[in-house]
Amino acid sequence: MKISFTLNDKKVNIDVDPMKRLLDVIREDFGLLGTKEGCGEGECGACTILLNGKPVTSCILNAIHADGKEIYTVEGIAEKPIGKLLIDCFDETNAVQCGFCFPGFLVSSYYYLKTDGEKNLDKIKKALSGNICRCTGYQKVFESVMLACVRKS
Amino acid sequence: MKFIRPKDVENLLENLEEDKSKKYFLAGGTDLNVQIKNGIIRDANIIYINHLSELSGISEENNIILIGATTSIMDILDSDLIKRHLPYFQRSLESFASPLLQNTATIGGNIANGSPTADVIPLLLVLDAKVELSSKSQSRLIYIKDFFNGYKQNVMKSNEIITHIIIDKNAEKDFLTFYEKVGSRRTLTISKVTLAGMKKVSGQRISQIRLAVGSLNEFPRRLFKVEDYITDKTLTEIDFSRVENLLGKEITPITDLRSDKEYRYHVCVNLIRSFLNQ
Repeated sequence: MKISFTLNDKKVNIDVDPMKRLLDVIREDFGLLGTKEGCGEGECGACTILLNGKPVTSCILNAIHADGKEIYTVEGIAEKPIGKLLIDCFDETNAVQCGFCFPGFLVSSYYYLKTDGEKNLDKIKKALSGNICRCTGYQKVFESVMLACVRKS
Repeated sequence: MKFIRPKDVENLLENLEEDKSKKYFLAGGTDLNVQIKNGIIRDANIIYINHLSELSGISEENNIILIGATTSIMDILDSDLIKRHLPYFQRSLESFASPLLQNTATIGGNIANGSPTADVIPLLLVLDAKVELSSKSQSRLIYIKDFFNGYKQNVMKSNEIITHIIIDKNAEKDFLTFYEKVGSRRTLTISKVTLAGMKKVSGQRISQIRLAVGSLNEFPRRLFKVEDYITDKTLTEIDFSRVENLLGKEITPITDLRSDKEYRYHVCVNLIRSFLNQ
């Protein structure tokens, strides 16, 4: 089936099995390998992307869900001023350990900064609650996002 | 495997009328895709419905709130209309999965998938919600308490689809409410035991009570026997061993990877006690 959508600010068209996992479309058909597969069941958040502005897990979405929509992956977000700010803050606070979950954390953090951005630990914890880190790095992640909130304002 | 993307609801219902083969509706996909991944569903006929705007959104009509079947959990959490009339329902849904899943999972999907652990259903049960089932020739309303008839089984016919969930605007008015989802962590948890409760108290007497449980039966259900026993009693008149005895007749907890049946039973007893003492 032919579908079209916007991927990181570019209009794209693709002829694809409508049931193909959106994660696989992003990785295989567009070669964007920043989006990771963790659990493959929507529970870990490593595959988080923005779909029409909202963070969602691409491993349990299908190609058809992208049709006519606007998608940002971690690669697109990393080019935005707030994305760059977050990357700097993650870097400075040494928030990243193995890094596998981080594309997802970056997308969820970006969404929080765009839509709220208050330096509020409870809100930040909630915003990132769909992303799981198995290296146990949450405190520093929260600190990074708090720092980004301060710097953004 | 067939993949169908109907152009509108009318076209969808015509399709259901003509093609009686087993099929799955794809809305948010959060349950369906996990079942496909795990091989529970294979070579399925899929009907995509997430693009049908007639099935999505929250509106009011006289004394009722209508929630379209493909409305996402996040849209319910963000809705001013729901906040005004059904704040308990809205607040309780915050523990649904995670924000990432709330953005895609739909209320109709949670019902149609019919998991014993489905977060939406115990709430709809105490709110006495109705499900609108539509086919080409008619729409019918069925109370959510009458919707399920077995593990992941329901009364929907092969030519029907859930179009709306209907809740009375005053469903929460004058009720004291309770909602507890017991899990291993706060977000991204599958319920071990869920109790939803609503009660009206006049003086010391509980004049009306509704209790619904999740994860304790083959599908979430109301505790009618316990409710009947408690109704019109004061706290001191309630013999709790009687409540436990009746509860034992209404729930059939199992031992699985999340919990064991004894734990589930005792937690349920304690949750009912907490709600009554509240």
